[in-house]
Amino acid sequence: MPQIFLDGQAFEARTEQTVLQVALEHGVFIPRLCWHPKLSVAGNCRICVVQVEGRSWVEIACNMPVSEGLRVLTDSPLVREHRKATMQFITLNHPVDCGICDKAGECTLQDYHVAFNGEASISREPKVQATKFHRLSERITLDNERCILCTRCVRFTREVSKSNALGVKNRGDHSLIRPAEGDDVRLLDDDAYSENIVDICPVGALLSTRLLYKERVWYLQATPSVCPGCARGCAIDVWHRKPEWKLRTLDARHNTAIVRVTPRDNPAVNGPWICNKGRDLALLLERPRADAALRKGRAVALDEALAAARELIGRARHPVALVSSWGSDEELAALDDALGDRFTCFVKDDHLPADGEVVEDDLLIRADKNPNGRTARARFGHQALQFAPDTDLVLVWGEGCDFGRLPRGVPVIFLNAFLAAENGHAEVFFPTSVHTERDGHFTNADGVRSAFSRCVDRPTGVVDAERVFRALASVPAGVAP
Amino acid sequence: MAELRERDAKILMTFPVTASSHLLAEARARGAYAALDKALRTMTPQQVAKEVLASGLQGRGGAAFPTGRKWAVIQYDDGQPHYLCANADEGEPGTFKDRWILENSPHQLVESMLIAAYALQVRHAFVYMRGEFSAPFRRLQGALDEARAAGLVGENILGTGFGCDIMIYRGAGSYVCGEASALLSSIEGKRGYPRNRPPRLTVKGLYQQPTVVNNVETLSNIAWIVQHGAEAFKAVGTPKHPGTRLISISGHIARPGVYEIEVGYRWRQLIYDDCGGMQHGAALKCVIPGGISTKVLTGAEIETLNLDPAEVEPAGSSMGSGGMVAIAEGTCMVRLLQVMLRFYHHESCGQCTPCREGMGWLHRLIDRIVDGQGRLDDLDMMARISRLQDGNTICGMGDAAGYATLGILAKYRHEFEHWIREGRSMYEGNLECRRSS
Repeated sequence: MPQIFLDGQAFEARTEQTVLQVALEHGVFIPRLCWHPKLSVAGNCRICVVQVEGRSWVEIACNMPVSEGLRVLTDSPLVREHRKATMQFITLNHPVDCGICDKAGECTLQDYHVAFNGEASISREPKVQATKFHRLSERITLDNERCILCTRCVRFTREVSKSNALGVKNRGDHSLIRPAEGDDVRLLDDDAYSENIVDICPVGALLSTRLLYKERVWYLQATPSVCPGCARGCAIDVWHRKPEWKLRTLDARHNTAIVRVTPRDNPAVNGPWICNKGRDLALLLERPRADAALRKGRAVALDEALAAARELIGRARHPVALVSSWGSDEELAALDDALGDRFTCFVKDDHLPADGEVVEDDLLIRADKNPNGRTARARFGHQALQFAPDTDLVLVWGEGCDFGRLPRGVPVIFLNAFLAAENGHAEVFFPTSVHTERDGHFTNADGVRSAFSRCVDRPTGVVDAERVFRALASVPAGVAP
Repeated sequence: MAELRERDAKILMTFPVTASSHLLAEARARGAYAALDKALRTMTPQQVAKEVLASGLQGRGGAAFPTGRKWAVIQYDDGQPHYLCANADEGEPGTFKDRWILENSPHQLVESMLIAAYALQVRHAFVYMRGEFSAPFRRLQGALDEARAAGLVGENILGTGFGCDIMIYRGAGSYVCGEASALLSSIEGKRGYPRNRPPRLTVKGLYQQPTVVNNVETLSNIAWIVQHGAEAFKAVGTPKHPGTRLISISGHIARPGVYEIEVGYRWRQLIYDDCGGMQHGAALKCVIPGGISTKVLTGAEIETLNLDPAEVEPAGSSMGSGGMVAIAEGTCMVRLLQVMLRFYHHESCGQCTPCREGMGWLHRLIDRIVDGQGRLDDLDMMARISRLQDGNTICGMGDAAGYATLGILAKYRHEFEHWIREGRSMYEGNLECRRSS
């Protein structure tokens, strides 16, 4: 374990580390633009320069191996001069159009410009002009003028997503990030992780086409959550409008909408990446919602629906429950506590791989497209669905149930979050919340338990499944009226 | 006191060039491949490497790194593949000395590469040749074909069991691919971006294996060193900088071309005697000693200098790659720097920030000065940009352009100030040497 000195202070380092890694591990700030913890060292941005004590020149910290007794200055006058110069070089042809840039507010370059330069351009030359709004793929728009050619995106597609979709074209200050194979955008279109390059872009060059000019980040709040898209259960941040910036005039849905989803670094699950499906969580969760309890297709008050359900359960002798693999650990426990010994339970796959979806890969995506199948099956068993001939009540929780396959003439209690024709076919229907509207936990396929928090309020009329289960508890068996 | 010994030893240009002097038969008649025979039959790889280290041979590509020390990093018997690469991407403006070897003495390079490959236990050696070299490519490929047919390249060379193949890889016209690590990236089929050090190329080079990249001229000396011994080599040139240098001289010189000079040769003698002085008898204004990336020296400065790194470096420049450009009195240094900066801007690979942005900045800045829109503080800005690029780039190109700019700015600032003040050149924008009326 070599010992190195950063600004005179001693730190323990590991032999394979670089000076930058040691500094970050111990909270010593060294700026970096092209360096990313999960990507190879490019060493091209030159902002991480440091000075070895006694030397009259600077070197980059991201590629400097540690050695016993190495003494490094991270903030000497020479380092400051070079950082300032590097910022002047980087912003020489950068438009500095933060006012209209989607990245503003969370832009590394913007922060560093203030921290290390903070002056207007000293150049009198016109800026190099390059392509604006270059369509890099269906999802991603590239602004070449803002690009600082750190090549994080190129390295991501080579080293992480392995689509090899991007490369650098031309030379010098005319270099452009472009599709690696001619102008073929399909490579990036087919990259199931492509939108991560928008996150890792340290400037506003790579932009999500869907969000272009739609939102400013300072109006948004990130709530930690878990992606329900597959059994990986990636840690995510769900971005929605801050309550204090609530819009009063436009459609109220703007205030509860999921604006975007970004990965939240969790080394045990997903690292700093998520797949594109996770980005599209809004498409999944913001489908038209059911917002009223139904009794034989007619809207009723929740209490009336609960009473009807209690009556059905009370009368049933051999009830069956189809358990949602989208239920949280808490909801599954509530169901087990309330009805577990009355019902024969089968775990149901709420979602199956959609057409054209990546079923499974060796990075993140898992074949099981449900977030909590592991806990559900641990609690309720792995047995395949089979209706005994004497089944006299079916409780269906969540999507993914073909009502045509249920025993004919048997009453159904249905809990579902979304509008569906089946809602009205059930004897009793409860509109339930989705996981962004409550707190809870999912346990992923590898057994890692992750918490998610309530991002937005439940729509009016919607009830948590957990509350329904608790209300249905303690109905004695077989009490015919 | 200047040494009195006449310095006229030759190592490479030892024969008259004729239409057939590059062919194997004539090369053999001059003694080619005797050194290879000697090395393979009587020396161990270690002994060859030791001989090269003892000779004090230094790199001829510009950086003058001791060849033997570069080789010493490679453990010839560590069991992993090693690679040898001859850098024939002669792209430094003003330099065309390797071209002479490739065209007229290709077997000397082939033989030397085989000896080097033996010392380093290389099975596959490469020649990275600049794409524009057409005749040199044909000559070297011809030489390789001849050598292969004669059992000198390939399996079981000279029946000794040692095998080595030499492949020519042709570049596609990028200056920066002459930088050793960019050159290797290019051979690997990647974009010609230089790599960060560490790791050094002798630790992780081509295909992540230990690799030696040597200049063509450097390698071509190996056969001579093995044949005549390190002591004989050290007797040529100066003790600190042994050997000869190929100098390709161009510019406003009466007889441009490639000259082999012994290190320590008198500069005046090269220019005024061997090369016949300046065109039209013009006066010498300045000399770029070794490729445009070296700092310019005025005519007065070189008057007393010998062509010896030990004298050129204290004078504030370097022998560089041996691409000498002689510039006559009456040449506009502003236009000259503009041409140089246009080149650097065009050739910057764009990988790291200071060079990518700085080259374009300098180029646009000098264009504006030439357009008559310059301001006096622009010159300080140019110096600052050059200074801050220095040492903060992945490869040496950022430094090189900075040296060139700082060198000319320091010595000819008055020409720039004149252009800025008067809105025109001190010398009518002349880049040619005109016959005086």
